[in-house]
Amino acid sequence: MEHFALWVAAFLTLGIISFLYKDNPWYKVTEAIFVGISAGYWVVVLFWDNFYGKFWVGKDNDSMLYVGGLLGLLMLMRLIPKIGWISRWPLAFIVGATSGLWMMNYFASNIMVQIQGTIVPLFSANFGEGMNAGYSTVIGNLVIFIGTFTGLVYFFFSKEHKGVYGVGARVGIFFLMITFGAAFGYTVMSRMSLLIGRLDFLFGDWLGMIK
Amino acid sequence: MKFILSLFSIIFLFVNISSQDNPESFPFVDSSKITIAPPTSVIAEDFKYDNAEKLSITWIPSIDDQIGDNNKVKGYKIYRITDGGQPELIAEILPGSNNYLDEGLEENIWYSYFVSSISDNFEARSNTTESVTPKREWLNFDLKFLFLIALIISSSVIYYIRHASKGKKLFVRKIAGLEAVDDAIGRATEMGRPILFIPGIHDMDDVQTLAAITILGNVARQIADYDTKIRMPVSRSLVMTAARETIKAAYQTAGRPDAYSDDMVNYITDEQFGYVAAVDGIMVREKPATIFLLGAFFAESLILAETGNSIGAIQIAGTARPAQLPFFIAACDFTLIGEELFAASAYLSGEPKMLGSLKGQDIGKGIAMAAIVVGVLSATFGEIWDVQFLLDIKQYLLQFFTVR
Amino acid sequence: MKRQIPLLITFFVGTLLIFSVFIPPMENLGENFTLFFDIIAVFAFFLGGGNLMRVHFMKLKKKKTDWQFSIVTLLGFFVMLAAGIFKIGNSGDISTSLTVEGSMFQTIYLNVFVPLGSTMYALLAFFVASASYRAFRAKNKEATILLVASFIILLGSTPFGTIMTSWIPDQLSIMEIPNLAVWIMSSPNLAGQRAILIGIGLGVVSISLRLILGLERTYLGDDSA
Repeated sequence: MEHFALWVAAFLTLGIISFLYKDNPWYKVTEAIFVGISAGYWVVVLFWDNFYGKFWVGKDNDSMLYVGGLLGLLMLMRLIPKIGWISRWPLAFIVGATSGLWMMNYFASNIMVQIQGTIVPLFSANFGEGMNAGYSTVIGNLVIFIGTFTGLVYFFFSKEHKGVYGVGARVGIFFLMITFGAAFGYTVMSRMSLLIGRLDFLFGDWLGMIK
Repeated sequence: MKFILSLFSIIFLFVNISSQDNPESFPFVDSSKITIAPPTSVIAEDFKYDNAEKLSITWIPSIDDQIGDNNKVKGYKIYRITDGGQPELIAEILPGSNNYLDEGLEENIWYSYFVSSISDNFEARSNTTESVTPKREWLNFDLKFLFLIALIISSSVIYYIRHASKGKKLFVRKIAGLEAVDDAIGRATEMGRPILFIPGIHDMDDVQTLAAITILGNVARQIADYDTKIRMPVSRSLVMTAARETIKAAYQTAGRPDAYSDDMVNYITDEQFGYVAAVDGIMVREKPATIFLLGAFFAESLILAETGNSIGAIQIAGTARPAQLPFFIAACDFTLIGEELFAASAYLSGEPKMLGSLKGQDIGKGIAMAAIVVGVLSATFGEIWDVQFLLDIKQYLLQFFTVR
Repeated sequence: MKRQIPLLITFFVGTLLIFSVFIPPMENLGENFTLFFDIIAVFAFFLGGGNLMRVHFMKLKKKKTDWQFSIVTLLGFFVMLAAGIFKIGNSGDISTSLTVEGSMFQTIYLNVFVPLGSTMYALLAFFVASASYRAFRAKNKEATILLVASFIILLGSTPFGTIMTSWIPDQLSIMEIPNLAVWIMSSPNLAGQRAILIGIGLGVVSISLRLILGLERTYLGDDSA
């Protein structure tokens, strides 16, 4: 059974990799299996965790479940064309709740915390001495100050990027490019390690060429 | 003298022999127990800004816990006495701790606590605190600055929305990715190939997905006008529902309700890479002329963008996840960076009220920039010239933008 | 009317959740919303799953292109559904864990689902190589900056980067590639991230207000629907 499972996994692995060459029946079969199995997986997990787990096992603990259940049933009204418009109510509920909840979360984490972190002195006697301690911190803080400021200048909507303002926006986009380059370079190695894992499976576990 | 010395010797021998055989029977000192000092200054008080359900217990750790290489203290046990009843062990925490938050309590019930420091085989109990009951606070004053800044920025957004609705023209700079939407839709129409719209892989409880659906509303209006085909595979059932409502409304507004079909939007699977495998298949088989990748994306962003690039489609992408932006920039023709994704629907609609909200965003940016400049300059010159007033300004700004 | 009530619901719920952050007795509203959302998502899954079956059954019925693969999709869906709902192969009764060892659900998950997901993830290695080739052609100043930053960060995490600049004296050790990589991550990268994050925060505020105030209403469809 284990041997059979190994061959199934290898077949599916190679089927996905074949997509790199071009679309082909092998990839189509693998894709179809993936879509079917994964859709079934999530139905099952959602059923046992969110439905059975909440409405059978946990039903005595939370009366709010019934409010959620009612909203869920309203969602299913979509299946009846004449009263399908009722399904907009739970949708409106979700949109309103998402907007309200995330607005304050983003305020705190993205605006307040980021501004607070940027308020640092460009120079301080506590920075230490020499190139590696003192100068490095001074330059670092200056770069953070200028980069954050000009980055915000770039994102201004109500001013054309011209003249002095345009220069500021240009400096800002340079900082943004450094950010994107850093993120790109940072993830390259981790992406390569994912491939190493699958090659290890194919050449090690399946073909037995790597012991 | 000899008798007394002999008596003491006999007693000494007796003590040693009996303590070796049965340590616990020895009446005065049990040398096998590792004795430690108890924690001191145990205080129980109401936890601020909660719904009358939490109490905070603090203490000074055992002196044995404060001595570096000691390692005698293995942790602390927290006991609670409810309304003068029996002590109940409620928590065991690690050494070095000096506080504990007791939650799930009830209003108008009085609680007292004591804390024990524990070694391998000994427990040293502190004094019991005075009884205290949790209190309800109706407003969280710790968040007063957050409220103030949220009020200022929200008010400016609302002000400019109303201001613009009175007819005042507002200038908005060109955003390349959004200027290209018309051309991208036109290209698909001319080539007779569909437009592929991917709203990310998150559900309607993510604000990026909401942004993608609002952009879909504007894009769908143009698609309905030009009678271009649209294909929208989605990863979440709720997104499917919202997207169908959006596209249907667009076709109805365009006066072409019969041209709409529910098959324009279909559910694939909730699984991230299962969805990507299916969308890749759709891309290489149906060869859309234009691909919109807007919303919340993760690792799959690169796979989708690269596959779209390989089929020669024009791609307009946008996400608020900074980690995925480099891949979109590398593989797509146009990328909406962070904030531009949320501004897109307002920009595309062209309605004055919507454009007014962008002006409000700019006010927020102005406040952020002003705070940063004032903060950094006062911190710097305060340090260089040792001016207390400037250092106070920096401190005040730091407090203002701190969220507890 | 069909739109007015949902707009009122959006406004009321959105405003309530904004203020719940500042009013301690209402702090649990956010948790309740998560509960409601999970439940609504389960019910909505009937719509999604139903749509998946309908699309593939119609493809089979009308013998559209690649209809044969729809059989595979439906078969995989129903097999996994049956294995999980009826807990086929689970020792014990229906209340045992879904992922107990030896169960059919767990066997399919480990031998089909996991290899497929891991391999799709592994494709990123190939795609990152092709994306790098395109990005690093450095057609303009911005692309050049992206290229240089990316190279330094990449080399900084390899031994080759250390070897390349090992000759630099200690007083200028900041110019060594690994140290330069650390400095780039902690300074200019941080600056750009901050600007992006502040912008995103403001963008979320703006779109949230537009949704709550009913300016954005396309998701609610048309009044005549």
